[in-house]
Amino acid sequence: MSKVITILVILCCLVGCIGKEEIDDLAMVMSFAIDKNEENNNLIITAQIARPGNVTGDTGGGGEGEPIWTATSEGETIFEAIRNLARFSSRRVFWAHNFIIVVSEKVAREDGLVDIIDFFNRNNELRMRTWVVISEKDARELVATKTGLEIVPGMSLDRLFRYSDIVSEAPRSDVMTLTSAYLGEHTHPYLAMVNIRDRGINTESPEEFGSIPQVELSGTAIFKDDKMVGKLTAEESRGFLWFIDKIESAIVPLSCPEQNDRRTSVELRENKFNISPYIENDTVKFEATVKTKPHLVELGCLTSKEHSEIVTILEEKVEAAIIQDIEIMLAKVQKEFKSDVLQLGRTFEGKYPGQWKEMESSWDDIYPNVEVKISVKSDIKNTLLLENPTRPAKD
Amino acid sequence: MAVIINLVYAKAIGVTQGILARQAGGDMWIVSILSTLIGLCIMLLTVFIIKRYPNKNIFEQTRGLVGKWGEKILSLLLFIFFLGAFGGVMITLVYHLMDYFLPDAPTILFVIIAILAGIVGLFYGIEVIARVAILGTFSIIMLNILILFGSLSYFEIRHFFPVLKNGLWNGIEATKHPNGDWAMATLMVAILLPMVKEKQKWFAYTGKSIVFGGLLILLWPILQVGVLSPEVTGQYIVSCMQMARSAEIGLFIHRYELIMIIFFSLSALVQIMICLLCAVISVKHLTGVQNLNKLTIPVATILGAFGYWVVVDHIRAMDLLTYYWPRVAMPIAFGVPIIVFILGTVIKNKKDNVISG
Repeated sequence: MSKVITILVILCCLVGCIGKEEIDDLAMVMSFAIDKNEENNNLIITAQIARPGNVTGDTGGGGEGEPIWTATSEGETIFEAIRNLARFSSRRVFWAHNFIIVVSEKVAREDGLVDIIDFFNRNNELRMRTWVVISEKDARELVATKTGLEIVPGMSLDRLFRYSDIVSEAPRSDVMTLTSAYLGEHTHPYLAMVNIRDRGINTESPEEFGSIPQVELSGTAIFKDDKMVGKLTAEESRGFLWFIDKIESAIVPLSCPEQNDRRTSVELRENKFNISPYIENDTVKFEATVKTKPHLVELGCLTSKEHSEIVTILEEKVEAAIIQDIEIMLAKVQKEFKSDVLQLGRTFEGKYPGQWKEMESSWDDIYPNVEVKISVKSDIKNTLLLENPTRPAKD
Repeated sequence: MAVIINLVYAKAIGVTQGILARQAGGDMWIVSILSTLIGLCIMLLTVFIIKRYPNKNIFEQTRGLVGKWGEKILSLLLFIFFLGAFGGVMITLVYHLMDYFLPDAPTILFVIIAILAGIVGLFYGIEVIARVAILGTFSIIMLNILILFGSLSYFEIRHFFPVLKNGLWNGIEATKHPNGDWAMATLMVAILLPMVKEKQKWFAYTGKSIVFGGLLILLWPILQVGVLSPEVTGQYIVSCMQMARSAEIGLFIHRYELIMIIFFSLSALVQIMICLLCAVISVKHLTGVQNLNKLTIPVATILGAFGYWVVVDHIRAMDLLTYYWPRVAMPIAFGVPIIVFILGTVIKNKKDNVISG
């Protein structure tokens, strides 16, 4: 019997060989774009695929060819387009290492994202933390662009989002946040927007200053159900991020006290945001509270004042700037786009479930006119390394 | 203790939670707590019943109380229960492995391997299964710690509100799904408890195992609501794999599917072995065949055939598990212990028969 058991155990171990994939047979997708062919309404997909043999590591090695291979194909559905890629790809397309899915604004506005959400949720290879973004231009252009410091551009895009919290100008949207917002009752999705701009500098011909196109964050795409209805600029997105993410850091440029032509900037740190619904005279209202402890990171002011006097003035300016950011954003999201991406309805339901049932069906009509009171408390305690503002001793 | 924890865990964290999310939404964690409390009550009742005549399992007690046909009816009921439970276990195992790792492998292969593993377990006996379960418990704890660290940064408390959105009654009604998982443990205890020594600690062991098992399971609905949201959890057949698919620690540890399978496989293995063992013992009392070895292959074949029929069609599998299984499992899970308890209490003159066997 023990021999039989041994044989059975060995046989069981071989099960993993069924459907095995050799790494050499795989075309590992690093980034992926979805566009639309306007002539026949087909989807055009573009996959940026790594050539591991030509990716030079830190310790050297690797071939001399291009580290990536970018290919495109077309089909009526995403799956058909991907299968059509297999007509000329010498390897099987493998999604597990994909960093980012870029969807063109045209697809997001005209066709919607439900097909994309469904397909990538059903696909067992894709990571749920794969970034999903909207491209202002053709998505394939963006995927084909060599951007960032990394050898594989897809990896650069991944890190662009991974560390985007230091600029706080676009949300970090992935398959999971997109799915969750789309499936949720009375919640709508939002996605980061990206664009290509000439930002890189060619060191061999520096006279062509800023001639190399690079991918940059350019704001937030706002959806109603699965269709894009509008976008927030990078500046407007600063106000938006308070509501949907934890802001680790953000820069607020300000004018100097009593010197409007000179600039100073503070970095928002230790930020806390709270949104609380309340009912006043049978009307739904919200109170948004921001608490921040900014660092004074730059003071380009010619001033005889001490830090203690300056920060008092700057604190007021910071508070006004944050309130302005949020008000501009609210005006767009509530009045113009009429999409509850801020999840105000869900927040209200959480606190007032009884009242929510009464207004649930009419929430879409109520939402654009809901008042959101904003209060900001800024407390600058840290001037970093300097005891006094930078000024010559002769003053 | 370890067997009870393992027997419930694998199915309860994944397939059951997906069903709960669809029915109870953000209250799925409350349903899990309610179900654990119900499971605790039924478990203590079962232990009380067995402790009255500690050398007799529930079949032997029933024979003593109401005669041979009572025993046969009960053994048929419990065989049906473990047959159905095996279907649920197969759904858990096959959809974890096939859908996420080996989509090209034939479904029958997973069933055959599961059945072979179950037969090997029976060959070595309950003691070896219990030792596997101890390792399984360590794996479960490791998995819980890893999933906690990998998911906590995405946790959002607002997904939990409003609490009891669909009402308390809906929550209580939804406990029928996890109750089916706990019923595997209570009915196993009704069959196997006489084999356990230290009879004075039976209450403590079984009570603690339900509490610890309940806490280990409870982490999952809490994380699934807080991280995935109830809507996303309810979207998937195996929601725990979705949790695993979304978890990450830093840049280099992401996608926990394989980690999850490694740590949860022992629990799934224990489920298979115990279901098979209990089904074989039930058939033994049904047919009167004394040699378990003679029954193992035929019973394993029946369970395997049923398991294959269930899992070969995803839609049928989930319909069976969601709509039909609770209707079969609940009357057996609650009815058997309660009826045997009442019989044992009311038919006092049969006590002598029970003791004499």
